[in-house]
Amino acid sequence: MTPVVQLDAVSREFAGTAAVRELDLTVRRGEFTALLGPSGCGKTTTLRMIAGFLEPTAGRILLEGEDATRLPPERRNIGMVFQSYALFPHMTVEKNVAFGLKMRGIPDGELRTRTGEALELVGLSHLAGRKPKQLSGGQQQRIALARAIAVRPSVLLLDEPLSNLDARLRIQMRQELARIQKETGLTAILVTHDQEEALELADSMVILDQGTVAQQGAPREVFRAPANRFVAEFLGYENFVELPDGRTVTIRPEHVEVLTSESTDSTPSDGTTVDAVLTAVRFRGTDCVVTAVSQGRTVLATSSDFELRSGRQVRVHLPAAHTIDLPRTKQELPTS
Amino acid sequence: MIRRRPVLSLLSALAMVFLLGPILLVVAIGFSSGDTVEFPPPGFSLRWFDQALSNASFQQGLLTSLLVAAAATLFALVLGIPVALAVQRRTFRGHKAVETLFLSPAIVPELVLGFALFQQLMVTMRITALGALLIGHTVLLLPYAVRVTGASLALSDPALEEAARGLGAGPLRAFFAITLPVMTPGIVSAAVLSFLTSFNNVPLSLLLKGPGISTLPVEMLNYVQFSYDPTVAAVSTLLLAATVGAALLTERLVGFNKVFSR
Repeated sequence: MTPVVQLDAVSREFAGTAAVRELDLTVRRGEFTALLGPSGCGKTTTLRMIAGFLEPTAGRILLEGEDATRLPPERRNIGMVFQSYALFPHMTVEKNVAFGLKMRGIPDGELRTRTGEALELVGLSHLAGRKPKQLSGGQQQRIALARAIAVRPSVLLLDEPLSNLDARLRIQMRQELARIQKETGLTAILVTHDQEEALELADSMVILDQGTVAQQGAPREVFRAPANRFVAEFLGYENFVELPDGRTVTIRPEHVEVLTSESTDSTPSDGTTVDAVLTAVRFRGTDCVVTAVSQGRTVLATSSDFELRSGRQVRVHLPAAHTIDLPRTKQELPTS
Repeated sequence: MIRRRPVLSLLSALAMVFLLGPILLVVAIGFSSGDTVEFPPPGFSLRWFDQALSNASFQQGLLTSLLVAAAATLFALVLGIPVALAVQRRTFRGHKAVETLFLSPAIVPELVLGFALFQQLMVTMRITALGALLIGHTVLLLPYAVRVTGASLALSDPALEEAARGLGAGPLRAFFAITLPVMTPGIVSAAVLSFLTSFNNVPLSLLLKGPGISTLPVEMLNYVQFSYDPTVAAVSTLLLAATVGAALLTERLVGFNKVFSR
């Protein structure tokens, strides 16, 4: 089957600086792909090239198997949701959602039906007559989504769509987005800097670093086995430790075990166990985050032992099942 | 309110007196029955209004002023809107320099601008007074057109036009369906400001007038130099009424606050 979107060694420069370098990307039909990375990694530039708002300086973009590299946005059949929503302020919600259909010359009757369906899909049919200004942020977000979906695009492009919502609403909308994508079966590309959002929504995630792919794969795969320190750090791995045998490993704080003389006397048989002293304990409600220092190296760990105090002698166990080998890099001390 | 902020209240009251006092004085004198400008007026009459409306040079001046203000506003907007768009989107190098160029007529003293245009347009190129007035006022209004429409563009979301393009609208359709309507309050503000600026202008018009072609403010200035009767007060009162009427109309159409806050 032809991929819906295919990028072929696409590069984009801005005044001599490369924002995206020879990027290859394939998005198959019905797939939800997340482009993930810190700001400046090239994810938005990539999305804007797929949409047609920016032309690549090199490489090819194929949409539905056809070369679209030089095609203007209005001839690409995309549906885009902007970070700012970009709802037309002088039009009602209904007119906003119908805009793309009108541009496609859809006859009145069908236009009304499809507009109604799109509004129903996001659960806001009752707001059809309102102006965008009269809506809450979450409602505007849904209307922007309905407007993009109404045209039945070959690919739905989402540019940080949830970043302007407050934390609770964001999680709610995340589920909503997942449901709508499932229901419509639309192919979607999401640009985000929020790893949780990508992990939860995407079938496939692409982590970008300075315009190139740092790692690509299914969220579970990538999360369990970050390929390098950049990806590991981005996914919230906070410990980077050089083991006595010379390997550099990373491990999440929640997988590090803190052993005290009360909890156990025996040394675990797997992984690595070292003596350490606690230098900081931060209480977080359900657990605490402790900073353990051993021979000048710092390890962060979470523990539900609320008796732990700073200055305490402990043993820190890095279970073999959770330590992930990283390729050697110059900088091996933890950043924390 | 007055008790709590005595200084502020006093200053506001003084400002009102100084702003409105002279204007109300002029209005009162316009309705005077006396033969000269005096206050308080000896009695009430409408004869100076009659006098003002039947004055041939005022009639001609008003016609010229309206024509020049309307045409120059139109020209300034037609030239200024594309400039505002181009500058706002930073689509080219040196957009700042272009913006400064188009704003510069507001900085150059109007008499200097007027003299330069008089020299070039009327003396060297032999353009008629009406043509010179139109060109001069258009130059005068360009900064307002570029600034005010630009300010309204700066406030609107640049993604709007992209959203339209993404939904299938070509560049022209996106402009007329989205960008232009979004700019409308800014354009109306710019038009109102431009029209009033042109209509009230003296220095440029003074230099660019010609035989039989002069604007109302210039004619009023001429008149007070030779006569000291309340005719000009009556004209001023009529102008005031027209301006207030225009302001109220603008308020009904786009909202007065929008015109000046943009």
